[in-house]
Amino acid sequence: MMSVFDAAWVIARRDFVATVWSRSFILFLMAPLLLFAFILFAGTMAEEAEREASRPVVALVADTDTVARLNGARDQLAAATSQQSLPMFRTVAPAENLAVQAGHLLADQEQGYSAVFTGTLDRPVLTGPARVDGFVGSRMRLIVDQARQAAALEAAGVELPAVSIRRIVTEQAAGNLQMLRRQLAGIGQGLIFGVTLMLATLLLSNLVEEKSNKVIEVLSAAVPLDSVFLGKLIAMLGVSAVGLTLWGGMIGVSYLFWQVLEDWMALPDVSPAVGWAPFAVLMLLYYCANFMLLGALFLGIGGQASNIREIQTVSMPVTLLQVGVFLLAMTVIGREEGAVVWFAYLFPFSSPMAMVAYAAKYETLWPHLAALAWQAAWVFVIVRASARLFRRTVLKSSTEGVFFSLAWLRRKRAG
Amino acid sequence: MASVLAIEAKGLFKSFDGKPAVRGIDIAVPEGSIYGILGPNGAGKTTTLRMLLGIIEPDKGKRALLGHERPLEAARIVGYLPEERGLYPAMTTREAIAFMGALRGLPLEVGRRRAEILLRENGLADYVHKPIKSLSKGMAQTIQLFGTIVHKPKLVVLDEPFSGLDAINQGRLEHLIREEAAAGTTIIFSTHVISHAERLCERIAIIAAGRIRFEGLVAEARDRLRPQVRLRTRQAEGSWRGALPADAQTVDGFWEFELPKGGIEPLLEALIAGGAGIEELSIERPGLHDAFVAIAGEAAAREMEENARAEIGVAA
Repeated sequence: MMSVFDAAWVIARRDFVATVWSRSFILFLMAPLLLFAFILFAGTMAEEAEREASRPVVALVADTDTVARLNGARDQLAAATSQQSLPMFRTVAPAENLAVQAGHLLADQEQGYSAVFTGTLDRPVLTGPARVDGFVGSRMRLIVDQARQAAALEAAGVELPAVSIRRIVTEQAAGNLQMLRRQLAGIGQGLIFGVTLMLATLLLSNLVEEKSNKVIEVLSAAVPLDSVFLGKLIAMLGVSAVGLTLWGGMIGVSYLFWQVLEDWMALPDVSPAVGWAPFAVLMLLYYCANFMLLGALFLGIGGQASNIREIQTVSMPVTLLQVGVFLLAMTVIGREEGAVVWFAYLFPFSSPMAMVAYAAKYETLWPHLAALAWQAAWVFVIVRASARLFRRTVLKSSTEGVFFSLAWLRRKRAG
Repeated sequence: MASVLAIEAKGLFKSFDGKPAVRGIDIAVPEGSIYGILGPNGAGKTTTLRMLLGIIEPDKGKRALLGHERPLEAARIVGYLPEERGLYPAMTTREAIAFMGALRGLPLEVGRRRAEILLRENGLADYVHKPIKSLSKGMAQTIQLFGTIVHKPKLVVLDEPFSGLDAINQGRLEHLIREEAAAGTTIIFSTHVISHAERLCERIAIIAAGRIRFEGLVAEARDRLRPQVRLRTRQAEGSWRGALPADAQTVDGFWEFELPKGGIEPLLEALIAGGAGIEELSIERPGLHDAFVAIAGEAAAREMEENARAEIGVAA
């Protein structure tokens, strides 16, 4: 008998070649580009829509001097903050009855005013529904105060000289360092989650092919089922490595030659606690662990499904499970201690992402060895359990031997 | 009979969802023999083979495959062609054969070379790089058979290997089985077509309703029945009638009865002396089909015949 790993290698090689040489793999490789284009398009559209929709318009119905001072104050404040943080102004000539005019303006669907400003700087009146008190009300108070101060200084003939702040630049601030490392932890976790989400769910449908074309009978007569599961995991990890290399290469080329992505690629100006090189290695190892853990689980779940429809049915809960695990791992970023944090480190499916955050935040390296060993042990447990469940439910066979056995690694030769 | 057993099974028992499929089967397959498992559909043939190979574990009983109690330990020297054929449709014939060899520990390169040889020797050189999905069912079955023997196993297990093949491919398969056996390979196959077993096997097991009804040499199965005598006489009546055995009965103008224990000579003498006027007389040695009917029952035999006819229709 070949060892489980030798047999897994045979399965992995077949699956890898079959996947990479299929036409659909090109689509798979293009998926991130399509996703990126979609996010860019949707983001631009949403931003534009939000820019238009979320900035309330206030009608200024006042004398020329008041309108001029309000516009001047608004411009000053916008220069110090942003246009988006202030309401837009539109000047309307006052009518005889201001109360009636305010009512008409607020009812005007075409102009879409949120509130109407009437009166003077000393007796300002803002007409509008109660909900404008929050954003519009507070901003209008700020603008009116600014306009009044400017008017008062002008009346007193006082001109305040501009003062520049003297900067003393330090290496780092503790609070800032923590914040930046948390950002790094978040980026690391996000990367692992994103790539795993895209690839691990593919494993759900991985055994359907063998079941539908009856190859599973040939496989299970020749090699241990554990090696079938392990081989499929390794193959998909290899496929993901091809994808990651290609996508990483494309981003690298874009970064080097066009500098277009420089802003987006800009990492926080701080190294992770363990240093960049160990962090990169740990990211890779934890990505593999995360993929193998979730992949083994999904392969086990998918192995129980008898057709694609059943796979589609379980896809949604499985995706939600991944999101749940991601959220659990994220708790490690903001918290230092506590039961939830420990649970996130120890729970097998959140452990890799939680430990990425640990690497970003803390210098100690030995917990990573322990964590990787722990995660590898769980990959073994899940693969073994999945294979035994498959044997019991799909092949309708009782299971042979003890759950934990060194025979898994043993190589026997016959003949 | 060879002294070493390639397969030895004792008291194999398996039930699915509480319903017994195999009820205490004993099998002993000598090394180097061609062994057939006969039985109608649902008799337990496939379940027995799957238990022997370790695809499923028996609920009770023991089995040893080439001396290994855990069948997977002998996987490198065993080949298996399942009843439901399984190949990856996108693979080329050469890769499919080499992959099946690799599953049994044969290096991929060696498997590819042997696959090319097997295809060439069987007149299929043009198919080396053809994907499985482009082949006919019979052709794909042949490819899977090559995959079953590419690693030169000591034991080949074939589950209903003739199923779905036309007459030409059935003949080719019979030839291949004989060749493998001549090279010293032990072959065990299940079938519900008695003629294949009769032509190929030295030993058989007849299974019905999950139980072994007979296990032994084909000749032993036949010897369970006495040869049949068919007799036609010119005279319908006469004193010679008293010489006929008690079980004699007329079928389509012939007297049919078992060959008397004392042989044919005393009967012949009595018929001549009684003036029967012998027009036609034959002694027919019973075939495996007759033995099967006697062992497994008329209903099982009829079911097997119907299945075989239906399959010939499908293959045609």
